[in-house]
Amino acid sequence: MSREEQLRKRAKELLAGKEVVMVLGYRAGRRPGTATPAFITRPEDADSLVFDDRCGANLAAYLPRVKHLGKIAVVAKGCDSRSIVTLLKEKQLDRNQLVILGVGCDGVKEQGRLSDSCATCAYPNPVVCDEMVGDKVAERESAADPLAEFEKLAPEERWQALAEEVSRCIRCYACRQVCPNCYCPTCFVDAGSPQWVGKTTAGSDNMMFHLMRAMHMAGRCVECGACSRGCPMGIDLMKFNRKVAKTVKDRFGAVAGLNPDEPPALAAFDPNDKQEFIR
Amino acid sequence: MTQRIVTAADLDKLVAGWAKSGAVYAPVEVKDWTEFRRIVSLAETDLTRVNTKLSARGLLFPHCETMFRFEASRPDKAQEADEPETQVVLGVRSCDAAGIAVLDKFFSGQGETDTYYQRRRDRTTLVGLSCHAPADTCFCSAVGGSPTGTRGLDLLLTDLGGRYLAEPLTDKGAALVKDMPEASASDLAKKAELADRAEAAITERIDTRKLKGLLDTADGNPIWEELSLPCVNCGACTFVCPTCHCFDITDETRKGKGARIRVWDTCQSCTYSQHASGHNPRLAPSARFRNRTMDKFRYTVDQVGEVSCVGCGRCIRECPAGIDICETVERLMLALVK
Amino acid sequence: MPEAAATNPAAGVFEPKIVAFLCNWCSYAGADLAGISRIQYPPSIRVIRVPCSGRVDPFFILKALQSGADGVLVSGCHPGDCHYLTGNYVARRRFAVLNDLLEFAGIDPGRVSFSWVSAAEGERFAEVVRDVTEKVRQLGPNRKLLKEEVA
Repeated sequence: MSREEQLRKRAKELLAGKEVVMVLGYRAGRRPGTATPAFITRPEDADSLVFDDRCGANLAAYLPRVKHLGKIAVVAKGCDSRSIVTLLKEKQLDRNQLVILGVGCDGVKEQGRLSDSCATCAYPNPVVCDEMVGDKVAERESAADPLAEFEKLAPEERWQALAEEVSRCIRCYACRQVCPNCYCPTCFVDAGSPQWVGKTTAGSDNMMFHLMRAMHMAGRCVECGACSRGCPMGIDLMKFNRKVAKTVKDRFGAVAGLNPDEPPALAAFDPNDKQEFIR
Repeated sequence: MTQRIVTAADLDKLVAGWAKSGAVYAPVEVKDWTEFRRIVSLAETDLTRVNTKLSARGLLFPHCETMFRFEASRPDKAQEADEPETQVVLGVRSCDAAGIAVLDKFFSGQGETDTYYQRRRDRTTLVGLSCHAPADTCFCSAVGGSPTGTRGLDLLLTDLGGRYLAEPLTDKGAALVKDMPEASASDLAKKAELADRAEAAITERIDTRKLKGLLDTADGNPIWEELSLPCVNCGACTFVCPTCHCFDITDETRKGKGARIRVWDTCQSCTYSQHASGHNPRLAPSARFRNRTMDKFRYTVDQVGEVSCVGCGRCIRECPAGIDICETVERLMLALVK
Repeated sequence: MPEAAATNPAAGVFEPKIVAFLCNWCSYAGADLAGISRIQYPPSIRVIRVPCSGRVDPFFILKALQSGADGVLVSGCHPGDCHYLTGNYVARRRFAVLNDLLEFAGIDPGRVSFSWVSAAEGERFAEVVRDVTEKVRQLGPNRKLLKEEVA
């Protein structure tokens, strides 16, 4: 039985047996090469489920929005499962109300190319799941540091490159909305009194938004790349995310979304944390 | 009006001439897409892509626009923002031009005129470019348009291979090419053939005519909940849309000087419909999703007599959740026809 | 020219404007001690008193730079001495991430400084301010995150 067939079979069983109220997975989009999140509630609809390299959305982002319905089964790639761990740590989900259907992932494709974030993915298999659907995929060699080239640039060049990058931002907040980490009822950019961030794309407001978005990702971002893929303006949001993830790993030895029992890196401390930057 | 022929070399000269007396905007390659950017020479452009990333609407209704400036100590004295430049927009696809025609109805067609839009519109000449190879997300012909449609344009160019057939549609457009030679019957025939081929390349067939009547009774239908589930309520679809025209007005002050600015807004944001009291009548994500679909195919029909989707396909291409407006329409029809 | 970039015509040197977030229990008291002890330090800082360095949202720091500050100083109790026991430990992680992110974004290290100054360290406080002021003076006026004018 192919992985897809197994997935459909399990979804049907879970729904028919009333073990879950919904299976959150993917179905084929209307146009070739596209897939879209599927919210299956009837066993007979489970045959529309697919899983392949079109399935780029991080489904964990939808869990806080549908959790009120009851127990949910969710198809989780490595990155989705790590996002689920992040949400569990932050008490946004109840583990008992989830059935995690793990899938190994060979990477997501964007217009035929392997997505940037997938090229450096170190966790292609779910880090937590109730059952695997299909086999695990081979773990990959740890990739070279994707920031190495950029960090070699002079500070002024780095500033110019990032300023150019964020100048394209139209503040649609697709990056925020597709991100499992962004579940705040009111985002700091939407706060109106006081208005923290100006609404225009002029001046430094775009940079303020992107730097602060990155700060809020520290210790939480699992580098799934959904933001970069979702950005209509092709902004390399992952560059910011990767930097904060790297800092958190280098300084605090923490990697987001691996261990549900560890507190989030920025809600914790070690008295011996390096403080060479503090006088 | 007399149809004319503009060779690539002539177009190059024309562009250089237009650029001397005002701004010229045209699709320019940025990363792996094109954007309308200010140009001084035809060589900077890339006229081969189907659609620019953002529609041409931003040239008439910019993302951020200063309405006026003021000094905090003199609130009674406002200083008008600078008058916009005259501009020629080259390489507008028919769908985008139709979108501008729809914007015209909203901003200046209903008695009240939006000064900020209108003063840009008055100074703008739209030079279209026929579409020969529509993308798989294109469906202009399903919503009353055509890849070679002329609506909204001042002049339509059709690439006949190194030379363009120039079809003036307004006096402004005719003036741009008045010195060019007349087109021959074979040029016109070639254009007709290209137009037919482009039309045939659009395979999307959605029927939006019946949709309006169905949507009139669709407010509380549970289908909205189902359709909206994948929607993450970002503003991507509304910001790339050629006809979305909502804006938010904000005052910014710094060191005693201020400006009143309007910026694009989106009905997908939860702050869009939030009242000063804190009450939000459209808080549910499904209600926000419903609003955009209803707006495109029902509300604007009531307001300005036509659907406000021109079939450019940008929302399909840019939706981070892979939502396809054609599929939405189809599923709505299925659910509502019952 | 924005006010923040004003040069002192008499001395011909750039006098930076620095926003200092000082925790109520240690660094603010340290600044107070420097004052009552008549210790001289440059009049470059504008103090914002916060209950704890843990109260300092990285956004405050960026917002200060955007609003025209040439530099920012954040100062709290020495590790282990936090009035709220662990506020500065948690803040330290946040500041570390911000510090590295700003450096990554090409914003001059030295625009934003962090220090621990206790209530008993009036002289140390003065020295920190002298040092930070000198560093920012060397860097010149802040341009990168500054939102100079409204649109």
